[in-house]
Amino acid sequence: MKPVVVVGGGIAGIQAALDLADQGVKVYLVEKSPSIGGRMAQLDKTFPTLDCSSCILTPKMVAVDRHENIELLTYAEVKEVVGEPGNFKVKILKKPRYVDVDKCTGCGQCVMKCPVKVPNEFNLGMDMRKAIYIPFPQAVPLKATIDPEHCLYFTKGVCRVCERFCPPKAINFNQKPEEIELNVAAIIVATGFSLDDARKRGEYGYGKYPNVYTNLEFERLLSSTGPTKGEIVRRSDGRHPKKIAFIQCVCSRDELTNKYCSAICCMASTKEAILAKEHLPDVECTIFFMDVRAFGKGYQEFFERAKQEFGVRFVRARPAKIEEDPKTRNLIVYYEDTETSRFTKEEFDMVVLAVALRPILPESLVKSGLIQPDNYGFADVPEMYIEPVRASKPGIFVIGVLQSPKDIPDSVIQAGAAAMRAAIYAISG
Amino acid sequence: MSRTVALLLKGEVSSILKSLGARNLYKCYQCGTCTAACPLSEEVTASFRKAVKYAQLGLEEKIAADPAPWLCYACGECSEMCPKDAKPTEILAALRRYSIIKYDWTGFSKRFYLSKTFELMSIAILSILTALIVYLFKGPVITERVDLSAFAQPTVAIANIIVFGVLSLILLINIYRMYKFTTSQSSSSGKLPVSTYIAEFIKIIPYHFLTQRLMARCRDGKYYYTIHLLLFYGYAVIFVHHILRHMLLPLISPTLHLNEVASSIVGISAFVALILGSSLAIYGRIKKSTIIWEYSHPTDWVFITLLWLTSITGLLTDIFKYSGLPLPTYVTFTVHLMFVVPLLVLEVPFAKWSHLAYRPFALYFNRLNEIKQLRYKT
Repeated sequence: MKPVVVVGGGIAGIQAALDLADQGVKVYLVEKSPSIGGRMAQLDKTFPTLDCSSCILTPKMVAVDRHENIELLTYAEVKEVVGEPGNFKVKILKKPRYVDVDKCTGCGQCVMKCPVKVPNEFNLGMDMRKAIYIPFPQAVPLKATIDPEHCLYFTKGVCRVCERFCPPKAINFNQKPEEIELNVAAIIVATGFSLDDARKRGEYGYGKYPNVYTNLEFERLLSSTGPTKGEIVRRSDGRHPKKIAFIQCVCSRDELTNKYCSAICCMASTKEAILAKEHLPDVECTIFFMDVRAFGKGYQEFFERAKQEFGVRFVRARPAKIEEDPKTRNLIVYYEDTETSRFTKEEFDMVVLAVALRPILPESLVKSGLIQPDNYGFADVPEMYIEPVRASKPGIFVIGVLQSPKDIPDSVIQAGAAAMRAAIYAISG
Repeated sequence: MSRTVALLLKGEVSSILKSLGARNLYKCYQCGTCTAACPLSEEVTASFRKAVKYAQLGLEEKIAADPAPWLCYACGECSEMCPKDAKPTEILAALRRYSIIKYDWTGFSKRFYLSKTFELMSIAILSILTALIVYLFKGPVITERVDLSAFAQPTVAIANIIVFGVLSLILLINIYRMYKFTTSQSSSSGKLPVSTYIAEFIKIIPYHFLTQRLMARCRDGKYYYTIHLLLFYGYAVIFVHHILRHMLLPLISPTLHLNEVASSIVGISAFVALILGSSLAIYGRIKKSTIIWEYSHPTDWVFITLLWLTSITGLLTDIFKYSGLPLPTYVTFTVHLMFVVPLLVLEVPFAKWSHLAYRPFALYFNRLNEIKQLRYKT
C-alpha cells in the first residue's frame, strides 16, 4: 500500500486526510501556513444551523494531529510533482519555523515578549500579531513560528528576546529549510480560495472608506477570537453600527471581474446579518441582493427565518455606488429598489461586501500540467459527471473551492469522494 | 398562459430594438445599477432598469409611454458600471428610436429607421425633387450682380410655408400621440385642471427646450453639452433668421428688410457653429471616442452628415453671395437646398431631430403624471 498526499489543510483537506487514514492509508497532509484549519477556522458560525464553526472544526484538526496514519507537514509547500497515477514523486519544501516543535509547548511566553508587531493575516490585517506567533488559539500544531521577514534577529541581527524567555529552550535560529521527497499513489489538492480584490469595484469604496468591510473581515469581527473580541465596531470610530448594509455579488456575476456566481454569499450574508442581530439586537440589517440562491438543505428556511424571526430586510437591488459622509464616516448607498422602481440614497454606518471567491491554484501542479485551470481560473474537472473530483490528470483530485465555489457541506462531500478515489490507487499501488 | 403567448409574440419588437442598436439587450439581469448610477436620477423620477425590462419583454405601449429614454443624455456612466455589460446607454438610445417610430402616425419613421435602402432612397428622391423644382420654377438668373431673391423667389417662399406647415402639423400630431401613450399607461385615471397643464407647460417646455440643462448634469457633460448647444443654437438662429427674413418681414411689408451686415454676421456665425458642432460629432462617431458615440445607427450618420453638408453649403452660399459671385452663389444655393429639404422633411418629424421636441415634452408629460399620482394617491 502506498501513501497519499493531501495538499491544503482546510476543512476539505482535513476531511480527505481523515477519511483516507481511517481506511488505513498513510497520508501526508501538507499545509503552507503554520497551522491547519483554513478558512473555516476564520468563521464564527456556520449556515444554515448557526453551529459554532470552531466546535465542528477543532476536534477534526486535533484528530488529524493525533492520527497514527497522518503525518502533518505544516509550514510546507509542494515544489514539484512528476510521475503517473499510482506513482507520483512529490518534492516538498518544509520552511524553517526557527522553533523546535518537539520542545515547544505552545505556552506563548515568546509571543508576549517579542517586541515586533506585524499585521495579523488570520484577522485580515485588522489587528497585529508578533514576529514570533501562534496563528490562533486553536492552532494545530499549537507551536510558535518565527516570521523571518519581520523578526529583528533576521532583519537587523539583534534582539533574540524569545530565545532568552522560552522556558523549554525551543528557539533555534539555525534551522534550515528541509526538502522532503515522497513517493505516493495519488494527490488530493484542496488549496481553497482567497477573496477577490474588492477594489476592482471601486465605486463601493473598499480600501478608501474605513467602514466598508469584506464579508471575511466581518466574519472576524463577529468572532470572539477576532480583532475586537467579537464586538461589532466601526473601523473609523470604534462605535457600534446602527445600520449595516450587505451588498451581494461584488465581483461575482459581473462581466468586468468574475462572471460566475460565488455560491456561498447569499447564505453567508444572511448568516452574518443574523449574527449581527444577535450581537447587537437593535442593529438594522439590510441585504441588497438580486436573486437569493438558497439551494441547499435547510437554506430556504434559513432565509425565511432571517426575514421573519430576525427582521433582516432584503432589498432587491444592486447598489451602483457608495459615497462617504466625510464628517460621520457614514456611507450613502445609491440604489434602485427594483420592486418599487424607486431611486434611493440611503445612509448606513457600516457596509459589508460579499466579495467573489477566487481559487488558489498550486503553482507546482499547474506548471507540470497535472491541474489545468478552467475558463474562470478554477481547477478544471474534465469528467464532471462521472468523475467529479478528478483533475486533468488521473490520480490527481481537486476538491473544495479550488475546483468551484461551494460551501462547507459540499466541500466535505467532495473530500469523501476524493478520499475514496485516492484509496483505490493507494491500495492497488 | 395567454399572457405568456402574448409575450412570445412580442419577440418581433425585441428584434426591432436590436436592429435599432440594443445589441446587448438580453444580457441585463435587472439589478438597477443603471438607475442608481445615473446622475439625473436625483432630479427626475425614472427607472432605466424598467425601460430595459419593457424592451426585453417587447411591451410596445409601455415603451412608448415611458419617459425614461427621453431623460437619458447618453453620458455612458451606467454602461461603465453595468455588471452585465448590457450597455444601457445603447438600449435607451434604441428605445428612443423605437419611440419615434411609435409616435409617428404616418408609418414613415418605421421604414426610415428599419431600412437603409428606404432611408437613402427617400433622401435621394427628395434631393432630386428639390433640384427639379428649383430648376423648373427658378426666377431670372441675374449674372451682373448676386440677386438670390430674384433667383429663388417666390418658389422658396411658397415652398417654405407649405413645408413648415405640413412638417409642424405632423410633428404636433406625433407629440399628441406621445401624450396619449403616456396617459394610456398611467396608473392614475384622475383628471387635472387645464390650469395645471398650462402652468407646467410654461414651467417646463421653454426652459428645457432652450437650455437642455439636464444634459449639463451628466458626467463629463460640459463637452457634449457644448457641442449640443452649438448644434441647437446654430440651427435655432438660422431657423429664426430665415423665418424673419423670408417669411415674416415680407409678409408684413415688402419694404421691410433686416440690416444686411448684421444679418450676414448672424447667418455666417450660426453656420460656423453648426459646422463646428457637427464636425466634432462626426469625428467622435468615427473615433468612437466615448460611450455616447460608440454605436451609431445608420440614421445617426445620415442625420449628422446631412447637417454637416447643409451647413457647409449654407456657409459657401453666404460667402459667394457676399463676395459678389452670382453663378457660384446660385449653384451652391441649389445644392444647399438639396440637403436642407431632406434634412428638414425627414429628420424633423420622422427621425432624429424630433428629439428636440420629444425631450422637453417627455419631461412635461412625466411631470403631469407625477402630479396626477400625487393628487389621486390611493
